[in-house]
Amino acid sequence: MGGPAFGKHFPPDRWFDLMRFLLKRLGFYGVAFLVAATFNFMIPRMLPGNPADIMLANSGGMIAPEARDALMATFGFIDAPLHEQYFAYLGSIFTWDFGLSVKFYPMPVADVLMQALPWTLFLTGSALLISFSIGTLLGILAAWRRGQLTDVIASPTALALQSVPAVVVALCGLYFLAVQNRVFPTSYAFNPSLDPAWSWEFISSVLYHGFLPVVTLSVVLIGGYLITMRNNMIGQLGEDYLAMAEAKGLSDARVRYAYAARNALLPSVTALALSFGALFGGSLITEVVFNYPGVGNLLYLGIVGRDFPLIQGQLLIMTLAMLLANLAVDLAYVFLDPRLKRA
Amino acid sequence: MSDLLRTFLRNRKAAIGLTIVLIYVAIAIFAPLIAPFDPVARVGRPHQAPSAEHWLGTTRMGRDVFSQLIWGTRTSLMVGIVAGLIVTAIGTAIGITAAYFGGWVDDVLNFLTNVVLVLPQLPLLLVLAAFLGQVGPWAIALIIGLTSWAWGARVTRAQAMSLKTRDFIQASAMIGEPTWRMILVEMLPNLLSIIGFNFIGSVIFTIITEATLEFLGLGSPLATSWGTMLYNAQTASAIMVGAWWEILAPCSAIVLIGIGLSLMNFGVDEIANPRMRTLGNVAKALRIEKRLTRQRMQEANQ
Repeated sequence: MGGPAFGKHFPPDRWFDLMRFLLKRLGFYGVAFLVAATFNFMIPRMLPGNPADIMLANSGGMIAPEARDALMATFGFIDAPLHEQYFAYLGSIFTWDFGLSVKFYPMPVADVLMQALPWTLFLTGSALLISFSIGTLLGILAAWRRGQLTDVIASPTALALQSVPAVVVALCGLYFLAVQNRVFPTSYAFNPSLDPAWSWEFISSVLYHGFLPVVTLSVVLIGGYLITMRNNMIGQLGEDYLAMAEAKGLSDARVRYAYAARNALLPSVTALALSFGALFGGSLITEVVFNYPGVGNLLYLGIVGRDFPLIQGQLLIMTLAMLLANLAVDLAYVFLDPRLKRA
Repeated sequence: MSDLLRTFLRNRKAAIGLTIVLIYVAIAIFAPLIAPFDPVARVGRPHQAPSAEHWLGTTRMGRDVFSQLIWGTRTSLMVGIVAGLIVTAIGTAIGITAAYFGGWVDDVLNFLTNVVLVLPQLPLLLVLAAFLGQVGPWAIALIIGLTSWAWGARVTRAQAMSLKTRDFIQASAMIGEPTWRMILVEMLPNLLSIIGFNFIGSVIFTIITEATLEFLGLGSPLATSWGTMLYNAQTASAIMVGAWWEILAPCSAIVLIGIGLSLMNFGVDEIANPRMRTLGNVAKALRIEKRLTRQRMQEANQ
């Protein structure tokens, strides 16, 4: 036995333990997704007002009154007992059929979301990579040189950044760098006069337009990662194995990164998983402020335009993204935590 | 208790944080006396820059930004504290219950907590607020309070679990203390620092989230709060016409209270984890020693 990717790391009997761990996590995410989908199903039904009627009233005549029944069906408001509606709704998730968007009528919600998803993934992915690597590195240095310049400057700054909301960073960035000084564009993901292509012109336009949103999101996230890593490192500092490593005559950098930081990284990875909520929430705000065409901005447009199919579809995509991100962290954990390999 | 307060205040970060927060609390309490104008009355020309009469300028509606900021402090603090209390109460109850009873109770509660943790919270809050229609600050406090307890429950559970294995808890269990006494008298006082940490963190989270929801236009436009100030500034294109005061005033207020509360939380953390404190002191001692050695060397040279 032994899969191709894990074979090198895991002898066959450990392979079984690992699979059990992963299956348990997968089961958990499956149930979590079901819970989220159920919430999604319940919210419009629990609250006053009928989404179809509100949409008709808000559509300004764009939707013919005869379409009301079709609209009701879109939400799964079919003339059927609640549990049948529920199963019809669950079925629509697996066929990826979220109905038609009202705002982008007659485009299917799934298509609208799929156009926006790459931008959100680009935004959140780059910001996560930048803030986690820089934050963690600075956290290591701050803990290693406690009370010295890195620590004295970086730690209080991180502390302050940790309590600065994304909306504040985004608005200030927009005002100072895009409006007051026209260094960066105020909206869109690329120059609208360009056609998407693998050309340097297009890619540079994407990077140019993405700069402020990515920096905003990174600034919001970096403080938390820095503080977490600094605390984890401080937890390791008094340990005997570090004294031993130093006594062996290993270089300072080797003791710091290959010994202390390696162990301190585990709780940081847990904190990473817990920060995905802040990541996607921050991305939503950033997209709205910079008019960036991601799924967060779509949710906002959907809410303003009372586009219920779009809202429901977006929530499901967002949940799925959260769960996949958590699963990725679980996988990273398997490689980072030796106890899981030899459990 | 006064010992605890003294330890808290001796921590420089905590003392600075507490001072900032107390100033905000005073502003919230005495808002009617401090604010020079009615926050929702037209008292000047639209978009006036800061001046002697209007310290922080006026909005497009000709309302005084400084007065709005003062009244907004009251709203934001109250929402933060109410939601913080709800979050802490639910989180502590779930965390301690799960850790104390263990077994299937722990399995169920822990599962529930983990599920809530992996849901995208802000999008869900947005949708909930949207479906409820433009909600007032109290409804926002309630929604945030009821949906944000998972993190607190998780850390409280972890602390309570390690507490449960300690000798004095085991001893009280063997003496046969009733459950309520075990939880309220033996465990709760020893979890105070994590509960305080959770409460302060929740207040920060709520203030930020309330402002965010209102900025997106999901709050009641009739309320005066930092979030509605941002919303009104956004809809009045304050940024585009260069009315920076309308944006910067609420932004600074949010950032400063956030910093004050985080500093308090840093203090709580340092008190709860002696290691964070002593290692800092060791570093300080080393610095002093280095300086003294240098002085002695200089004296010897002279």
